[in-house]
Amino acid sequence: MTDSLTRRTLLRYGAYGAGAAALAGTAASWDRLTGADIPGRDDGSLVVATLGPAYGPEAVRTLTEGFKEVHPDIKLRINAVQAVDWSDFFAKILTQIAAGTAPDLVYVATEGVQLFAQRLGVPLDDWVKRDAGELREYFSDVHPSLVESMMYEGSLYQLPVEFNAADMYLNNQVLKRAGADFPAADWTRDDFTGLLRDMKKSSGSQFTPYFWTNRLWGGVVPWLFANDTNLLSESKAPGGGWLWDSFYPAAARQGRGGGFRWTTPQATDARVEEAYDYLASLIQEGLCTRPEGGNGQNLIGVFSTGRVGVTPAGGFWAGGLHLAGMKADGFDVQYFPRWRTQRMQYGAAGYALLRTSKRQEEAWEFIKYAARKDTLTRLFETNQTTPARRSMLTADRYRETGPNHWQVFYDTLDKFPNTGPIPAPPQVAEVEQVLLKHTGTALASRRSVAPALRRMQSDLEKAMERDV
Amino acid sequence: MTNTQIPAVRPPQPATPPAPAPRTAARDRGSRLLATLFLAPTIVGIVVFTVVPIIGSVVLSLFHWNVIDEPSFAGAANYGEVFTDSTVLVSFRNTLVFMVFAVALQLVVALVLALAVNGRMPVWLRSVFRSAFFFPLVLSAASISVVMKYLFNQDFGVVNWVLGLVGVAPVPWLTSENAAMATVILVYVWQQFGFSFLLFVGGLNNIPKEIHEAASLDGATGLRKHLNVTLPLLSPTLLVASVVGIINALQVFEQPYVLTNGGPGDATRTVVMVIYESAFEQLRFGEASAVGVLLFVLIMAVTALQFRLSRRFVHYQ
Amino acid sequence: MSQATLSLSRTRHSLAPWARIAALAVCALLTLGPVVWTVSTSLRTPAEAFDLPPKIIPTDPSLEAYSGVFDQIDVWLLALNSTLVTALIAVGQMITAGLAGYAFARLEFRFKKPLFGLVLATMMVPLQVTIVPVFLVLKSMGLTDTLLGLIIPAFPTAFGTFLMRQYFLGMPKDLGEAAMLDGCGPWRIFRSVYAPLAAPGLAIVGVLAFNYHWNEFFRPLILETSGQNYTLPLGLVSLQGNLGTGSISVVLAGVVLSMIPAVAVFVVGQRPLREGITSAGVNR
Repeated sequence: MTDSLTRRTLLRYGAYGAGAAALAGTAASWDRLTGADIPGRDDGSLVVATLGPAYGPEAVRTLTEGFKEVHPDIKLRINAVQAVDWSDFFAKILTQIAAGTAPDLVYVATEGVQLFAQRLGVPLDDWVKRDAGELREYFSDVHPSLVESMMYEGSLYQLPVEFNAADMYLNNQVLKRAGADFPAADWTRDDFTGLLRDMKKSSGSQFTPYFWTNRLWGGVVPWLFANDTNLLSESKAPGGGWLWDSFYPAAARQGRGGGFRWTTPQATDARVEEAYDYLASLIQEGLCTRPEGGNGQNLIGVFSTGRVGVTPAGGFWAGGLHLAGMKADGFDVQYFPRWRTQRMQYGAAGYALLRTSKRQEEAWEFIKYAARKDTLTRLFETNQTTPARRSMLTADRYRETGPNHWQVFYDTLDKFPNTGPIPAPPQVAEVEQVLLKHTGTALASRRSVAPALRRMQSDLEKAMERDV
Repeated sequence: MTNTQIPAVRPPQPATPPAPAPRTAARDRGSRLLATLFLAPTIVGIVVFTVVPIIGSVVLSLFHWNVIDEPSFAGAANYGEVFTDSTVLVSFRNTLVFMVFAVALQLVVALVLALAVNGRMPVWLRSVFRSAFFFPLVLSAASISVVMKYLFNQDFGVVNWVLGLVGVAPVPWLTSENAAMATVILVYVWQQFGFSFLLFVGGLNNIPKEIHEAASLDGATGLRKHLNVTLPLLSPTLLVASVVGIINALQVFEQPYVLTNGGPGDATRTVVMVIYESAFEQLRFGEASAVGVLLFVLIMAVTALQFRLSRRFVHYQ
Repeated sequence: MSQATLSLSRTRHSLAPWARIAALAVCALLTLGPVVWTVSTSLRTPAEAFDLPPKIIPTDPSLEAYSGVFDQIDVWLLALNSTLVTALIAVGQMITAGLAGYAFARLEFRFKKPLFGLVLATMMVPLQVTIVPVFLVLKSMGLTDTLLGLIIPAFPTAFGTFLMRQYFLGMPKDLGEAAMLDGCGPWRIFRSVYAPLAAPGLAIVGVLAFNYHWNEFFRPLILETSGQNYTLPLGLVSLQGNLGTGSISVVLAGVVLSMIPAVAVFVVGQRPLREGITSAGVNR
């Protein structure tokens, strides 16, 4: 009895103690709980939303401090949204828009360019014309195709700061094992197939020559481009002359318009089917992995350890492979192989200015600042992306991380002027979902290609009819 | 839920109930006042942060809204759309299939393990087993799914490597329509069974030893003993475990989202994934709300059905 | 002697104890396998991460990945935020669930059944459906982008309330009746008779709340905007690097680090948890 009594008393005092501690702790951390200790909240700062994984705390600091030097009068807040992928990122931005607390600027990749342009964005045309002198240097350093991919119906909505084209990464050790030479720049699809076969023959069972991820960028689309087709028919919007005429020489202006238009679905096109048939045959032969959804987290590991020989990736992989412990000469990069054409695909990203912003002038200043060479140089130190500025791709930049043929990254644009962005109309979210979904079933066997593409076609038609 | 409370295990009861306490108006008032005070935090919180938002989404389900423009009234159009959208319909089928197998597997695994752990063994060992089986519950579903995605990779994963050692050909765990749902269920159950397991361990502890001994004396052995004696005594626990299991399973999101992103095809697309995709990826908030409302109704119906069935199958001592 | 007979008689009709224990051991290994792989990979270099057979014991264990985590993100601030959020939610839920559970179990009042149904029904609403309206409500309270905005909406807990109701129902009714005969009012009965017995039940509510909210991702993603307000799961995302190019070892080291507090709470709370669940799971 006494025992239980003392225990109970103890318990009670323990509970009082814990309660008091909790209260004291809450009181002490009140500022933390209410965010009152964060300087410069709701003080009329210019608010920029970036994608967290691409902009770590270090990058955010660099951007903020650099901007302060140039524009001490503009208060800036950068919110690095810690989203796992673009759809998480959009979920966050959309919720803020719905609540009327949208940021002024949003970092948007090709996937979202037209959606933002159509619904949320402000064209930058007037500012670009006004500050033409200041921007001449920028445009001379950036490939017109990247700029065109940021245009919508004749107007420019973003200044691209980074891009990634799908090139072929090759593991040198696997090449050597197969007794194969580094492929020539103009290698063909059949050379590619032969290389995969050689790799397969010379390797053990825990090895698959070609690995890829089922997504819009770098999945099936590069093969469609190589086979001179596209998921949706592609054309150019009229207009854009105002930009091309004032910033680009005649040769570079050739064929440029007011941005891309992706309209009629053509999944049942013979060449699309041909591309799927080809991939299905590679899978059947054990030369290629089955399409897996999601991001490429595993991929770097299997490639760097030589369990994959070839994979499509962009400049962002140089830094990734380096982090994964791969030596600069352990891998190299070549263009995507030629099929009917050697057209390649890329995605780019930059800052979009939202219509709801009340600080559009300041926002424009940030856009210019973010596209400056010194800013990008400070930001892109680890090669986790490809800078949009040609002059930043130097031997020096790639000395430590590799690859040897780093010129391939920008030459994918310079030497192949028809290289274009992934198809991303305003309905991109649904288009992408339909593509991934039916690609998964199409490649289950060779016989399933045609029926799956028919279903893809009808789903794409429905998606494109929808008014976003 | 009924209001007749019959605790499964109670100290010996007096043969006749104690004389009813004198009920006075004052006492009742006191009880009501206290109840109001006690319930206030929960009810106010629920009204503000759940009921109001639910009403919001029911209203929203009657509108077309893309977040950006003003909502426009749609009447029942969103519901009509939902019932003709094959992806939505498939997602409901997937979710029900997922629920049935995930919950059944989870309960069986948990029950078998709980019975096994309850058997004779050193105390420390029992404690080790209990902790091991509960452990996955401590982890974040999203991060562990990333790990699982690698382990189940067809070409490079550890699972196929182990199977390869015993001569099994590589299984396309995540990339074939047939296997993908099974894999998602497996990963989900792996993480979730610990909860039912703990419930069962608790339930078994509460079954008086004498009942087992009496059953053994009557000649009941092994499996039969468990089927005829243990299971009925455990039925209230089973009810709780299955209700909570079903409610959670019908809302599964992280595992399919990370492991397969709903594919291949729509093979593993669940209702909550469709809600997320149509709202936040495709900007169709009205339609997403309509799907949400339907899911809510479905969960309520399944739960109500369970309680109804439970009257026949759940035994209280 | 009697023990020997007993185990003999057991072997006759059920699995031999050693076979049962061996089977359990296999199951335990399967259960912990992925966790072991995660921990061991976080101690390996990325180059070894995907080796087959997996090197469960790294040839060259290194803590480099862990220092990488601390270099890349502000672990301490994130952990402080996560701790504040999770601890306050846990305490808050223990209070709300304890009180409401008691009211539903032991007090008489009008609309008891529908109110209890309402509480239970909130378990059935997927977060993704209500997040936009919730955001709007928080905005009207000025609580977006604050930790309180994460904490306060999480106070009411349907499952916790349900659990505590079961728990109080499991306590002998006679105790309260005796106290009533002694002239105690409802408050005294709660405070002196039932509340002191509630600790194990409250412990489960607390541990489960901690578990769930420590790992929470979607709500913090939507509600928190400033980097200073991020919780650990949000911070860990940036370890993945742009387009998934981060080092897998560092990513997993982050996962392991964030696992530690949840494991610790589980270990400490294991006993009350077990006791609590024992009595909560069986009544209705």
